[in-house]
Amino acid sequence: MTGISVGLNCPACGGSITVVEGEDTIACPYCSSTLFIEGDEGVTTVAFRNRTTKQKAVDASRRWWSSGWKARDLRRVGKVTEVYPIYLPFWRATTRIAGWICGYEIRRHTDSKGRVHQQKIPKEVMILNDYQFSEIAADPGDLGIRSLRNFSGETSFADFDMIPTFEATTSRDDAISHARNKALSSARSSARVPRVTMERLHILPRRLSMVYYPVWIVRYDYRDRKYLTTVDGVTGQIISGRAPGDPLFQSLAITAGSSVGGLLAAVGIILSDVAVEMMIAGIGAGVGVLYLTYRFFRHGSEIIDGDFRHKPASMSETVNELRDVARSLQGAYR
Amino acid sequence: MRRCDDRFVKVLPGVRKGSLINSHRILGMKTLASIKCPKCAGPVTFDTGTKLVKCSYCDSQIFIDRSGAGFYYAVPFMVSEADAIGLFKRWAAGSTRAKDLDKRAEVAGANKQYFPVYMFKRDVKGREEVLIEPAGSTTLPGLHELKVPAGDLKIFDATFDTSGAELINPDIEMLSYMDSLPGEAKEQALVYFPIWRLDYVFEQKRYEVVIDASTGEVFSANFPARSSTSYMIVAIIGFLAFAFEGILALSSLMTAVTLMVLTVLGIFAISFYVARRL
Amino acid sequence: MKVVQVRCPSCDSPIYSKQRDRLFYCDRCNVLHVRDGGVEKIDFEIAEFASEPPGEKVYIPFWRLYCSFVIRSKSVEGEYVFRLASWMRGEDGSGTMFIYVPAADFDTTTFKRLAIDFTVSSPKYNTRLNFGSIRRMPTAMSREEATELADFIIVTMEAEKPGVLQQLDYTLTVNGTKMVYLPFGVGPNGMVPAF
Repeated sequence: MTGISVGLNCPACGGSITVVEGEDTIACPYCSSTLFIEGDEGVTTVAFRNRTTKQKAVDASRRWWSSGWKARDLRRVGKVTEVYPIYLPFWRATTRIAGWICGYEIRRHTDSKGRVHQQKIPKEVMILNDYQFSEIAADPGDLGIRSLRNFSGETSFADFDMIPTFEATTSRDDAISHARNKALSSARSSARVPRVTMERLHILPRRLSMVYYPVWIVRYDYRDRKYLTTVDGVTGQIISGRAPGDPLFQSLAITAGSSVGGLLAAVGIILSDVAVEMMIAGIGAGVGVLYLTYRFFRHGSEIIDGDFRHKPASMSETVNELRDVARSLQGAYR
Repeated sequence: MRRCDDRFVKVLPGVRKGSLINSHRILGMKTLASIKCPKCAGPVTFDTGTKLVKCSYCDSQIFIDRSGAGFYYAVPFMVSEADAIGLFKRWAAGSTRAKDLDKRAEVAGANKQYFPVYMFKRDVKGREEVLIEPAGSTTLPGLHELKVPAGDLKIFDATFDTSGAELINPDIEMLSYMDSLPGEAKEQALVYFPIWRLDYVFEQKRYEVVIDASTGEVFSANFPARSSTSYMIVAIIGFLAFAFEGILALSSLMTAVTLMVLTVLGIFAISFYVARRL
Repeated sequence: MKVVQVRCPSCDSPIYSKQRDRLFYCDRCNVLHVRDGGVEKIDFEIAEFASEPPGEKVYIPFWRLYCSFVIRSKSVEGEYVFRLASWMRGEDGSGTMFIYVPAADFDTTTFKRLAIDFTVSSPKYNTRLNFGSIRRMPTAMSREEATELADFIIVTMEAEKPGVLQQLDYTLTVNGTKMVYLPFGVGPNGMVPAF
């Protein structure tokens, strides 16, 4: 092999042959010899057929605009500016896990005389399952897509030349190890054995393929701002999107949240004579409701659907905000 | 292992030389967009990411070995200048940005640029690893994260349309990385990815954002931020007031209910003002 | 990337096969070999059809692992029956046994059923020298994977008896592997063993 390109011929009869990526044996179409491909193992590649039209993608986006707590005038003011399909690359891996998780669970219950009983429930759980995993094979940027939700549909490369194809740039072996870890953790959580005394799990990677999946990009304007939604090219469903929120919904949320939360806390405090747990439960539930509605109040000016990198409405963000408020209050006091 | 360097010199008969700006000096190796078919010597062009191509003249299948060559790729612009400004405004309207930043920020300049990074695919003890290394030094926000954004990678040659974007020249040589990278080469490329650099002024201060012009992601290191204080104060005051009124309802129901109605109206009014204006 | 013609490592005659199979069988000299990371001959045997099965006659590949097995300690909640001892040759929780791992591409349920059935009661059969004109299912599982799964089969047999297994401290050593082609009839009612 001296050049960058190698013509492929049958080593037995010299006839020119066609190798499909991801296969390590083929039969020569001329002499029917079995041929083995050494080194540089490719990956089986499939592409899903695009089943959505431009109009359907726009309609799906417009339907999405009017659902949820988005700006009330979005349907009236929002204007679709650009609609086009792309092929996104995904790693798809099937991992089989075979094994056993043994252990027990402790259950506590209180009888009519207020005595607490402990019960140990032994468990043995067999795991023999194939786990599906998918992960985008490029940096998703601001598309809000990280994995595939749909694995069924017609596969064909017929649309491949018409639709721009985003290239795979991440490592195959990284995807395999992500698939392994994901399969292991799904297996463990599905077993539901809280205290493990024995775990014997075997991980068998079964298949890896590269899937090109059609996705429609719908860009739209709302009051000088550019937003984007992505629509599944096979099912026609919205995959991800950003949309403007509405201050009315934000303030309604916090009004409802602070009143319900506050009253829950009050009920807890009133019932603290019966049991201390009631007070803790009441205040806990109240703060929980307050937290959820506060999140929407603070960050509901943009509504986000999908797997985006930065989500402002996260727990850690709220903790940071609390810290900032504490600091500014301290400053005001001095 | 075959040494990469000596292969570039000897091989690649079909390489198109000098079609790229500064290609030899920068990369230290030649690049190509088409090869000669090993059977009929006809020119065969191929796309990024393909391993196997068919010669359009003699119909034979050709395997492309990328381990010994350097490639130039570029991601096409999917975002126009107007789009970039619109994306910036969407980002500026976000909940953590200063109130009305989208309306009050003044865009002072928009630069269309191609930014270079190196992408190495290596075989490290049987494991495929992808490594991204800087090809140019930068202080631009987002670009230190160094990744190749999702995009339709195209082979970058004389026929590639840069659509008027300024090319940032790499100031680090690819070969200077190749010697220190682990494992064996599978593929290496210089990737130009498209960005919009926007400068904007807000309250007499200048800020900068970078927009990935393939997917529209916005990167920013410093921006005028919005305080959460007023939001949180409204939430906490409302909560405490209702907790107090709930307890009060035990002793004097009527007073409590009246107070609750007033609190609902008050909280709604204040929170609406906060959500709109602060 | 290099394309090579598959030839028998023993008699060097080319191999012609229409199906994708991990194992390559030379019908001229009766040698089976594998090519994952180097050419290696595989020890194998073919079982004779003892009965005329319904449906199509098919050979299904199994990795048969000859294992020695030592249980050091074990704890079970509930009913305690030490079943392993009853089907293992040997005593005191140690001994040797054959573990059958189905090597074709089966779904999980079929895989488990075949594995447990044949490991609990080893199939008895006469061997024959070649496949004749009978189809064989392609092998999808490597020997290394079969070794991993042998461990799973052992724990499954221990766990699937009365009582809830809590702890099993054991060692499993594979002393030898053989590829065994077992005869089946495949029809509308599924797979029926024919030995």
